[in-house]
Amino acid sequence: MLKVIQLDKTYGQNKHSLKAVNFTAQPGEVTAIIGPSGAGKTTILRSVNQLIRDDGGQILLDDQDIRQANKAELRKIRHHIGMIFQNYNLISPLTALENVLHGRLGAKSTLAGVFGMYSAAEKAEALSLLKEVGLGEYAYQRCDQLSGGQQQRVGIARALMQHPKMILCDEPIASLDPKSTKIVMDILRKLAQEKQLIILINLHQIDIALDYADHIVGINSGEIVFEGASGDVDDQVLQRIYRQAAQPEQAVTANEQ
Amino acid sequence: MNNKFQSPQQFFRQRRLRLGVVLAVLLVIYFGSVAIVNFQTLTSLAQVPAGLIWLFKNFVPTDRSITYLGPILYQLWRTLIVAVSSTVCASILGLIFAILGAKTTSPTPALRWIIRFGASLLRNIPVVAWAMILLFSFKQSDFTGFLALFFMTLGYLTRAFTETIEDLDGEKLQALQAVGANYFQCVFCGVLPEVASTLTSWVLYMIENNLRDATLVGILTGTGVGFLFNHYFKQFRYDAAGLIVLLIAILVILLELTSTQIRRAIA
Repeated sequence: MLKVIQLDKTYGQNKHSLKAVNFTAQPGEVTAIIGPSGAGKTTILRSVNQLIRDDGGQILLDDQDIRQANKAELRKIRHHIGMIFQNYNLISPLTALENVLHGRLGAKSTLAGVFGMYSAAEKAEALSLLKEVGLGEYAYQRCDQLSGGQQQRVGIARALMQHPKMILCDEPIASLDPKSTKIVMDILRKLAQEKQLIILINLHQIDIALDYADHIVGINSGEIVFEGASGDVDDQVLQRIYRQAAQPEQAVTANEQ
Repeated sequence: MNNKFQSPQQFFRQRRLRLGVVLAVLLVIYFGSVAIVNFQTLTSLAQVPAGLIWLFKNFVPTDRSITYLGPILYQLWRTLIVAVSSTVCASILGLIFAILGAKTTSPTPALRWIIRFGASLLRNIPVVAWAMILLFSFKQSDFTGFLALFFMTLGYLTRAFTETIEDLDGEKLQALQAVGANYFQCVFCGVLPEVASTLTSWVLYMIENNLRDATLVGILTGTGVGFLFNHYFKQFRYDAAGLIVLLIAILVILLELTSTQIRRAIA
């Protein structure tokens, strides 16, 4: 279980990005973070694996506080947290297979990683993961020759290669067409259910969030304004989540983009 | 912020005005420098055809110049070796410096500034000046030419490589960090595959460039095809010198064609 307690983050002076954020995400469930742009969705997600250093609070993954981990421990924890991105962030001249194998880097010695020394079992697993996301025949294709939806599925396979407890998804479908969106979201939901993973997704498409998520976290101007089952989200809740920010904060948001 | 124009007409009037000012400045610079060095444009232009005809009469290779082919080709080969070896050595060291000096991959900002400053220093000393300075310590030898080209290329490639690495989307490296990859794994599994083809293009470009520079440096260091050119030239054997120019041009073009092919293959 992922438990975020009193998480704070300030950018520069007085620009509160997160104010005492609390929420939980359960294994086997899809948890979606929704809210207007600039509300702090990305900051939350990237604090969870400490790509962004927050200023205070606790982030407990199975009762271990990620924020207290030293460099080596953090590397170990990250190894079991997959992450996929809006822009896929694959190493584009490399093949799909090589990108999936990168999921093993966190468990490898420096030299083995640098020289790409993967065991036969790892290679076989990478190939079967690619087949699992429907890309078996593209294993030896360069990633920049794949479509957006295909690249995102390679990203998912890379995350699965980490044997993750949790997968963080930062706007995973924002650059995808409706058909690819459905494929990617179906895979993520299936993973949560079948492998009992924690799936934490940032989304700005409300309908997709309500369709796919079991648990919804609503955020506005860095504050959690709703947390509950997706069935409990009604118009009133949505209005609270998407209400206009106060004038000065809107200016800050515009500057950040 | 962009509302200082009242109408499109006013905006375009200002554009035209700016263009007019730039042209006027260029003209002033031209006529100013012409007046200072006492250069007579029309007279000079009139002399160009006669000069070209003289060149063709004297520098076109003759039957006799073919007898020089052996030594010329040998020196051309040596010059090529100096150009290629200096570029390859400089690119290996330059890559290490670039990784340590690029914003996205540098371990410390201090190192970044040292590398930036060092590379700029190496690059901004002309290769001819390098050769003349190095002549004192290393005398007239191929090694002097190698070093001169090496230093200039190192400065140039460090800069080019650094910028290529900095252009790389930092998110891709974040993705590898998120997987749990450490610094060296990020560099070797992420940065290098992403920039490899651009870096190769730079190296190929520098080899072409250094072949041209190597002939020039050779005149100073008394080696290679540059020296041979100077030697024949001073003995008034213009046809042999012309043959050298022709062969250098052919070699440069061949090199360019090859590197275009390589670039296309790896793109």
